[in-house]
Order: sequence, then structure tokens, then C-alpha cells
Amino acid sequence: MAAYILRRVVSTIAVMAVVGIFIFLLLRLAPGDPATIIAGREATAEMIAGIRERLGLNEPLPVQFVHWALGILGGDFGNSIFTGRPVLQLISRRLEPTISLSILTMILSVSVGVSFGILAAWRSGGLVDRFLAAFSALGYSVPVFVIGYFLIYFFAIKMHWLPVQGYVPIDGGLGPWFVHLVLPTVALSLGYIAFIARVTRASMLEVLSEDYMRTAAAKGASSYAMLFHHALKNAGVPILTVIGISFAYLIGGVVLTETVFNIPGIGRLVVDAINNRDYPIIQSVLILTSGLYVLINLTVDLAYTLINPRIRY
Amino acid sequence: MTITRRDLIKAGVAAGTALSMPSVLRAQPSPDDARTVRMVMSDLTVFDPIRSTADITRMHGFAIYDTLFALDSKLAPQPQMVENWDVSEDRKSYTFELRDGLNYHDGSPVTAADCVASIRRWAQVDAGGKLIMARARDISKKDEKTFTIALKEPLGILVDALVEGLYLPIMRQKDADRPATEPVTSNIGSGPFIFNEALAKPGASFTYDCNEKYVPRQERPDGFAGAKVVKVDSVIWQNIADQQTALAALQAGETDFVLEPPADLYPVIESDPDLELQVLSKGGSTLYVRMNFLQPPFHNVKARQAMLHLIDQEAFLGVMHPDPRYTQTVTSIFANSPLYSNDENTEWFKKGGDPEKARQLFQEAGYAGEKIIILQPTDWAAGSNASQLLAASLRKIGVSAELAPMSWSELAARRANKGSIEDGGWNIFIADYSIANPISAAFLRANGNEAWFGWPKNDDYEALRAKWADVDTLAERQALARKMQGIWWDFVGGVFLGHAVQPTAHRKALTGLLEVPGAYGFPMWNMQKTS
Amino acid sequence: MGRLRISDLPRLARRHPLVIAGGGLLALLIILALTAPLYAGDPVNMDPFKRLQPPSAEMWFGSDNLGRDVFARTIFGARISLMVGLLSAASAAMVGLLIGVIAGYSRSFDNVVMRVMDGLMSIPTILLAIALISLTGPGIGILIVAIAIPETPAVARLVRSVVLGVRERPYVEAALCGGARLPKVLWRHILPSTIPALMVQGATVCASAILTEAGLSFLGVGVPPEIPSWGNMIAISRLYLSIAPLTIFAPGICLAVTVLAVNLLGDGLRDLFDPRAKRRR
Repeated sequence: MAAYILRRVVSTIAVMAVVGIFIFLLLRLAPGDPATIIAGREATAEMIAGIRERLGLNEPLPVQFVHWALGILGGDFGNSIFTGRPVLQLISRRLEPTISLSILTMILSVSVGVSFGILAAWRSGGLVDRFLAAFSALGYSVPVFVIGYFLIYFFAIKMHWLPVQGYVPIDGGLGPWFVHLVLPTVALSLGYIAFIARVTRASMLEVLSEDYMRTAAAKGASSYAMLFHHALKNAGVPILTVIGISFAYLIGGVVLTETVFNIPGIGRLVVDAINNRDYPIIQSVLILTSGLYVLINLTVDLAYTLINPRIRY
Repeated sequence: MTITRRDLIKAGVAAGTALSMPSVLRAQPSPDDARTVRMVMSDLTVFDPIRSTADITRMHGFAIYDTLFALDSKLAPQPQMVENWDVSEDRKSYTFELRDGLNYHDGSPVTAADCVASIRRWAQVDAGGKLIMARARDISKKDEKTFTIALKEPLGILVDALVEGLYLPIMRQKDADRPATEPVTSNIGSGPFIFNEALAKPGASFTYDCNEKYVPRQERPDGFAGAKVVKVDSVIWQNIADQQTALAALQAGETDFVLEPPADLYPVIESDPDLELQVLSKGGSTLYVRMNFLQPPFHNVKARQAMLHLIDQEAFLGVMHPDPRYTQTVTSIFANSPLYSNDENTEWFKKGGDPEKARQLFQEAGYAGEKIIILQPTDWAAGSNASQLLAASLRKIGVSAELAPMSWSELAARRANKGSIEDGGWNIFIADYSIANPISAAFLRANGNEAWFGWPKNDDYEALRAKWADVDTLAERQALARKMQGIWWDFVGGVFLGHAVQPTAHRKALTGLLEVPGAYGFPMWNMQKTS
Repeated sequence: MGRLRISDLPRLARRHPLVIAGGGLLALLIILALTAPLYAGDPVNMDPFKRLQPPSAEMWFGSDNLGRDVFARTIFGARISLMVGLLSAASAAMVGLLIGVIAGYSRSFDNVVMRVMDGLMSIPTILLAIALISLTGPGIGILIVAIAIPETPAVARLVRSVVLGVRERPYVEAALCGGARLPKVLWRHILPSTIPALMVQGATVCASAILTEAGLSFLGVGVPPEIPSWGNMIAISRLYLSIAPLTIFAPGICLAVTVLAVNLLGDGLRDLFDPRAKRRR
């Protein structure tokens, strides 16, 4: 097992190297000179030349890459073009809302999605199953920002139950924090609930049709024990996998949700950076989210061995 | 010990009480709400008032910095930080004495030396300031509270120049001694509001607290002039990028004020008993098409005249500011200025919307189907819509117009390119301006490479414009204005799309908002919340 | 899983109403989009004096904030959405197929290529698109590239696993031992087996590409605002929900229906190609 974990960690490092190279090349090979972009709109030719020199853009590409990668490993993500502040500082100030939204969304999606999926698989073809089919068709097809506007219109403006927009930091009180995140979380979760429920249903059905499950049923195991003791344990692997994979999609949804609900998180930071062409911010968020994704999937992989010890690589 | 609502909610959540969800979760106003005003503004990114012409930066300046003179509602300069001022017999020497009780937010007193340094820094950037510096022999402090400006020759508009153009913030000498190219970051002034650094969340919100030590003037507030009395504890500027969400927040009472509600939704605001529209910046702004004088086809005056005939302002106003109650067409280069607006040399194109005449003039200009690039600012709705309509109108008369969509900051970079289309240049962009006088309005310059983007050049016009600073009477200035306009419409320095004022929306509980002249923002003193 | 014969299709389709519903709907949308110039009117013509009009005989869905025909824009918008969706799916499928086949066939490439795929997979689509577009400016081509890149690895993985399975099959080994050249074996025996997986994955990519385009246009970094796309229309019309609801409902419903059609088709194909799934039904 130790050898397996070691192998996984090494391959994770390799993957991150690939991501790093890709994002680095994206900046260097795309049309548009980074020095010109960083120099800003009032730059003179000398200023641009100075920035080229300072950033080491005149050096060979591999040397540039090593410098850049070492900087990132040392926590230096460069400075924002627009505000001149360190990118890492800007990002860290925006982390709390985004992490809050992501975690609440994951909790809601996984709990509702998995139970939904189990119920649908348990009575395959039944009412819950059909409802799930309809719900997931809808959850997949309606963009998250449309759902967001609908929720605001109904629950905030018409019913006055929940705030329209904004974010209250968690140290401003658990109640206000939670209240402001309810609608964004629900809006963002619908798609994931559908996704996770469907994967859960499919995995459960697969397991339920296995011979050992029939044996268990023949032996008179209760349906509760069948579902939760035997089936869910075995269906856990694919479910965990998609939860890991769906993280990359979650980030896309977060960008849109934060815009609709005016949440000052990473997503808003990125969207504001677009108009200012603040490339260092976009690039840093890109590499950080990719890194997080890779880490989550490493954790998920390692969790396999705990959930289902039969898996050996 | 008092128990706050926050404690109650914490206790409630911790105990997991069985209250019904809506009553627990309902967004209730906190106790201090009555003394806190929340305003949806645009994003504040430049804090130094002389580093940006953006309204939001100017309003930040109004809040935290005080200034020497201020315009009243009739556009006349009135003393603000100045107690007494005096001009010598030969009109070459001005003396200004500061009033008592002026202190910075850090407790230090405002001195004449601060004013001198602040004027010198501001004058490196502002057009009126540059004129003062060109005429000045010496600007120096006389004592702690008095400073003088000595001129080589008289300058009739000296005091006007101190209030028009860029806001002149009086800041501590150590801040004002920085070069104008280096932004001031301390945010410490002597104004009626204190910038709350601890609560500053760039991109999200900024908080301004009442400066309780501020000593206001005795006069009634009038425009920007008079007493600056802050009647709330703090003002929070929220940056809500999504207009739909911003309006929803206003309807739900989560914010008290929205700076720029979309015109199509005025009926929604007016039908809500808790909300109302109010025009605070009375001046409004004029939108115009700027053409590149250096590149074909608009290096030819016929092509520029074609644009005058082509553009139907009513159509453009429809897609830029769709509520006719707040717009008007405009043919004078002094727009709706009550003093200088006139009809000189406007009869021949007045109505616009004559595509046949435009087509013919384009032909006479030798236009042969070249691509025309219009820079389209996608993050400014009015400009973006007008660009699209302009492209469509040009295509209808056989001009191959092409839109180049980009953000305003990219547009600002690209418009500096004087080269041809192949070299990343441009032909047309749309912008807006608010007329103060022909000295400070960049749009009204026609001195070639020195002029604003588009670089119009006309020496006769420039000779007239140079006289502006030295004519003393209003009648003389009005005559000069007519002459300038006569030449302007011959060489067509730019084409107008229409004039609009922007009403703001606020909850009726927010009262006392000051209506001010000009177009560049409004002050936040005097307003209060009634319940 | 054997090879799919054309003659089997009608019979299979009868057993799989999802394929008929999804595929039929999609085909209808494609036809409507392609024939748009015949009936839909001009999607770019503006009339500033007829803004936000209610539906009428000449403008069936009314007009938008620039006085343009919402019906025409919705129909022409289908072209953009379908083009972005189908081209993204096609490019991801082609590139993924190539990489998957190589990885599945060559052990030496496998490790390297699959690490690269893992890396690309970790980049969120919307962020990648934002990064690319912030460098190049908005455009349909760059949008398709940005959407296709992160979707390619999933295709490559699927194809690779299919190839790994197929190449151990006796008929493939027999063909190779019998002296058939490798390209021919790939073409005759291995490629056809990957088609079902490709089609299912392609549908998923297509659906998510259409939604991504809408999301990016909503943020103002999708296709240029002049071009009628559903994402652009929703982004602009969100303000007019209360005064001209059709300006947002028309593109919104079309978007949802199109994504639904693609998803149904994908689900149907999955059932059709996967005997285990069929057994479960």
C-alpha cells in the first residue's frame, strides 16, 4: 500500500508539472506580448523593454519556465497588473466566500444526490426514479445563472425570506453567513445533485445486480442492510470518483454564481480581471484551481483503498 | 451587558431551535442600520483624485478631501476651505487665507504649505492648473494659514480654474510632494468623511465613516458649496456588477441607493412605492463619435461631414438612454451649457438621419470600400449599443464597418494608436464628455498631435481657443463661443449622438441627497435616513 | 459488444425512445437552424424606434433592446450554439480519438500521454476560456478551442480503455498474427469499437459546450455581442425579464431544449451501446 501511495504521489507531481508547462506556454505562445500587457496602456517602448528585462523574457523559454515555476513554488505569483498588489494576497482575501460556497454546495449535493440516487435505485422505475429522470434532465439543461435569477425573484424579492445578494464573513456571525449563502448554494447545487444522483443510481444498480447481492437477498438480508451495508459500500468508488472530477465543473459554476449573487470570491476576482486584462490573476487562479483539483483527486484515489480494500493496483 | 441580535442568532443556531425557517433566516436590518447608508456604486480602483477622471474617483475625493473653492448650484465658485481671499489692483497677485478648524484625519492641522504643494501637484495634470502654472511667477506660503499666487500677467479665470476640471484635493504636504505620476495611497484628507482602511475590500466594498471632528462652514449647503454636514455614521459603497441583482437588492432594502439604474427599468422603480428616481448630477453628459483624423477615410473633411448627416440623434438616444424624459438632442459644441450653448453654423446638418447625403459625401471623400474599425466598449452598455447601431447605419450606406469588441480599458489603450488599421489602429470610438470650458474639455482641443485621441487639427480654431483664458466678460466669452463653434462644424471635430442626464435610484427613506451642477458625481454629506 | 450494423438501427431505436426523441429533436433543430435564412428574417437589423415591442405579426417574439427581431435572433442563435456545441464535440472527439488510440496501443507513450491528459483535465473549462479570451479577444474559434481542450482527456481515456480491451480480443490478435498491417487492423477492428463510446462522450461534450458558451457570453467574454447567440441574448435581456419576458424566455427555452435533446440522445446512445445498462432497465 505504501508503494502504491508513493506511486500516486509521484504521478501527481508529474501531472502538476504538465499543468504548469501548459499554463506557462499559454501565456508565452498566445498572441499578445505579456510585457506589453503588463506595462499597461500608457507604456512607452522603454518601459516595455524594461519589463521584458525584469521578467527575464529575453532568456530562453526553458530558463524562463524554471524561474516562473520556482517563483510559484516559493509562493510568488507575481503582481496584479491593475492594482500592483501581490496576486497571492488578492486571492487569499477572496478565498473565504468561495470556499464557503463550495463546501456548502458539496455538502448539499452529496447528501441529497446520494440519497436521491439510492432511493431511485432501490425502487428502479418507481416514482422517485422517474422524478429523478425529469429532475436531472432539467438540472443539466438550465444554466446556473437562470436558476439564480429565478431563486432571487421568488425567495428574495417576492417572499422576502432570504437576502438577494452579498456575503457576510463567518466571523460576522454564523446566522448571517449561512443566510446569505442559502440561495447561491441551492442554485449551484441543482446540477450537481442531478449529476451525483444519477451516478449513484447507476453504480447502485450495477452492484445490486451482482451475484453476491442476490445471495444476500436470498439469505434474507433486510433491504436496509442490502442498500447501505453492502451496496453503498461497493458503489462508493465510482461515486467518490465523480465527486472528485466534478470539482473542476464546480469552479465554473462558482464563477457564474458569484456574479449573480454578488459574492466577493475568487470568481468575481477573475471576472473583474477580464476587463482589466489582469493576466497574472487569471493565470494564478488557473494554476491554483488545477492544483486543488489534482490534490482532491489524489485524496479521492487514496480514499478508495480505505472504502474498498479489495482494490489493489 | 446588552444582548445583540448577533448573539441571539448565534444562540438560536447553536441550540438548533425549532423556529420556522423563514423567521430565523429572514434578512433583518441590524440596529445600526438607521445610521448606515449602503450605496451601490461602480468599482473604485484609483484612489488618488488627480490620477483618474472617473466619477467614482472624484466622489472618493469629495468624501475624504476638502478643497479651496466649490461650485454652488449656479456654477459660481464659493470659498470652501478659504476664509478670505483677495486680488491686487493690477490683478497679478492673489492672496488666500484658510479658515479655522481645518484638521486632517490623523489630527495634524491643515497648513498653507499643504495647499501650495497640493496645487502644484494637481497643476501638473489639470488643464486649468497647467494654465495657472504657465502664468505664475510664484506660488508660496505667507504664513501658516495664508498663501499667495503671483502672476506674470493677469488670468481672469484663476479662481474658476481651481474648481473646474479635476478635483483639487488638499492633502498633507508629505503626500502632495509625491510626483503626480505616483499615486497617493494614504487616503488621509481633511474632508467630512474618513476612509475606513480596515473595512476596505477592493472589488467588493469600501466604508466611509463620519469625520466627527470636521468643522463645517456656516452657510447653507448649495451645490458643492456651503456647510458639509454628515448626518450618518457611515456610508458603505457596494460594488454590485450585475445591474439586475443591484436593483433587486434595492427593492429588498439591502441597499439604499443605486448609482446607475438601467433606463428601461425606470418604470419598475417608479411603480415601487418605496423607491424613487432623482437626478443628482444636473449637468449630464454628451455622447459623441470621435473619428481618427490621421487615417483614411476620416482624414477627409467630407467623410466627417457625411457622419454629421448620417447620425440621427433620436435613434441613437433610443439605444443609449431610452427614456426621453432625461435626454435631448444637441447641436452646440457647448451642449446644454446655459451660458455658452448656441446655434452657430448648425442649420445645414441639424436633423441628421440623411443616409443618402451621407452616402454621397463618402463618395466625394473618395471612399472605396475600405474597412472601417469601430472600437466597441462591451462593458459600457450605452457605448456598446451605440457602436452597434453606428456599424449597422454605416453598412446600410455601403460602408464596410467592422466592430472590434473590447473592454473600456483595452479601448483606452488601443485608441492611443495613431497608426493604420493594419498596424492595430482605429477609425471610430464613442465616448462622452461634460462641458466645463474649452480649456479643460479635452474633446474641444484641435491642436493636432497635442489634441485628444483622434487628433483633430485646425489652427484658426486653436487661435480662438487660446483667447478663452483672457476674455473677461461673459458677453465676450459668449461671442467667442459662437466663433469657435462656427469653425468647429466646418472641420467637424466630432459628431454628437445626444445628451443625457443619469437619474439615480434610492429608497424614499434616504433623504437630503444634494443636487449639484456638473456631471462628475455628487457629494454624500447632508443625506440621512428617516424611518 | 459486437459491431453495429445499419440494419439493426431501426429495431434498436424502437427499443430506445430516448434516441428517437433526442436525436429527432436535435435533427429538427439543426434543420431549423440551417434553413433559417428562408423564413426567419434579419437577425441584425436594428430599429431604435421599435425597442422592446410585444410579439406581433411581423416580429413573432417581439423585439429586443436595440429593436431587433427576437424570433430571427433566436433562430439564428441556434446556429451559433449548435456550431459551438458540435464543433467542440467534434474537435474533442477527433483529438481524443487520436490520443486514445496511440495511448492504448503504445505502452511507451501511454504513461506520458495519460499524465498530460490528467493535467489538462484538471483545468476548469470556464477559467481556461477566460484566460485564452483575455489574451486574444472574443471570438467563436477561440471559444471552441478553449472548450475542446479540457474535454479532450475524457474522450482520450475512454478510447484508450476501449482499445486496451479490444486489442486483446482473439480476432484482433489473429489478424495481426495473420500478417495484417497495423494501420489496417486499427482501421478495420479497433476504430469501429470506439465509435459507441465516442458518440456517448461526444453528446456530453456537446451539451456542456453549449452551456459553457452561454455562461461565457453571460460574463461578457463569449462570442462578440454583435453575433446573435443564446448566451448573448440572455446576458443582454436579463434586465428586461419583467418588461419583455420573451427576449429572455425565447433563447432560454431554446437553450434548455437543445441541451436536453443532446443529453437525451447521449443517454439513449449509452443504453443502446451498453448491454449492461439495458439489462438494468
